[in-house]
Amino acid sequence: MTPKNILKYAYYPGCSLHASAGEYDLSTRELFKKLNIGLTEVPDWFCCGATPAHNVDELLSLSLCAKNLELAEQVDGDLAVACAACFSRLKTTQHVLGESDVKRKQVEKAIDAPVPLNGNVKHLLDILARDLGLERLEQAVTKPLAGLKVACYYGCLLTRPNDVPNLDCVEAPTIMEDVLKAVGAETVAWSHRLECCGANFTLSRPGVVVQLSHAILDSAKSAGADCIMVACPLCHGNLDIRQKEIEGVYSTQYAMPVFYITQLVGLAAGLGADKLGLDALIVNPMPLLKQKQLL
Amino acid sequence: MKKKKMLLSAETMDVSFVRKVEALSGTSVRRCFQCGKCSAGCPMATFMEHPPNRVVRLLQLGQWRRILEGRSIWYCASCETCSTRCPNKVHLASIMDALRKLSWDAEGPSKESYVQLANKLFLQNIRTYGRQYEMRLAAVFNVKSGQFLKDLMLGPKLITKGKLKVFHQKNKNMTEIEKIFSRIERMRENGEAL
Repeated sequence: MTPKNILKYAYYPGCSLHASAGEYDLSTRELFKKLNIGLTEVPDWFCCGATPAHNVDELLSLSLCAKNLELAEQVDGDLAVACAACFSRLKTTQHVLGESDVKRKQVEKAIDAPVPLNGNVKHLLDILARDLGLERLEQAVTKPLAGLKVACYYGCLLTRPNDVPNLDCVEAPTIMEDVLKAVGAETVAWSHRLECCGANFTLSRPGVVVQLSHAILDSAKSAGADCIMVACPLCHGNLDIRQKEIEGVYSTQYAMPVFYITQLVGLAAGLGADKLGLDALIVNPMPLLKQKQLL
Repeated sequence: MKKKKMLLSAETMDVSFVRKVEALSGTSVRRCFQCGKCSAGCPMATFMEHPPNRVVRLLQLGQWRRILEGRSIWYCASCETCSTRCPNKVHLASIMDALRKLSWDAEGPSKESYVQLANKLFLQNIRTYGRQYEMRLAAVFNVKSGQFLKDLMLGPKLITKGKLKVFHQKNKNMTEIEKIFSRIERMRENGEAL
């Protein structure tokens, strides 16, 4: 039998992963190294514009993403994206420019280059679940996450809108649960896995974030989850960094660790706490992991 | 909010603006039959004076000024739930984008200055640094919005956890990003883009 293709990707970390979500970046690089998946960072990538750009200036948002798609062409392999918001913006750009010649011409003029529309943009989840495959993921497990009850939180932009990210079903996705079950964890059924956390209102209107994220934490807790798993630095910021504030406002106690997907999968693949950046989490996950004998 | 009586006439039903919204968003507001599914699923509807389905209804009636005067469009989280669930393929999230763009260009009479300020600083950061500089974004926002103590309790913890980088690495290729911004400005001046 010929050896299986070695997977390799161009990697777009996005701004948060170089700052407030450093542990997502670290755990992604370490996990992919462990799984023998190559990641080469896109040279000189720019901010994708995130929500503020498309909120007020669609042309700018499309142009920034198109520029990044063009830069990614320099690196071999599909584009791997860690942040759900960057993923959504890059996919939406391909979709919109594929449908509208007028917009494509405007964007090509703005970036002074043709936009590559056929390159594959993939979220890390997609790479783990489909490119690597659940079977090979299962084989990489050295420490199954037995007994850990996880609430998989998709948030908004991983699957929406219809036909654009094309990651999984929009109303009833299972890709996060599939990955977690492959590494031996239990997943809980809960009501708020697709509800919005308040996203970038965290800067301008934190009160909104407190209200929406409280509902999510509350739902996960009452479904019996030990922890929440996310695949987006903004969801993480709202649920983890603001958790204490939310507990204060609602006079309650969650102490609910919020992990990135790469941290939990990495743990199952035998990576230590230092390689997963577990000490960077605001809600301390150590008591839970020790209790479940996972560390 | 005190309800103003709505008078519909050829003068008050200004549809040229609505056509612009339709062109920018690539979606037709006339397709909406007011089932209300968008508002039912909207996580932000409770913060808005006009929930999403009413925004579309007001557009159908040419009453766009009512929308721009309020803060509904600035309280949309861009979560795309509305667009995903619309049975008639009205892309409401894109309509919200188009409304914000037109209001932004006109520096519209919006009540929601905080969200506008956050957007403005975010875009300025991209132009200056190429990537987002979170520490600066938060600090400048607090100064400019006059909320000097906002999230002060979070700061020290974030810095010790390495989550707030005091020093930011600028993108190496800043001339490239400046070119994109200025080309877009020039295209708008020449009327080649909206």
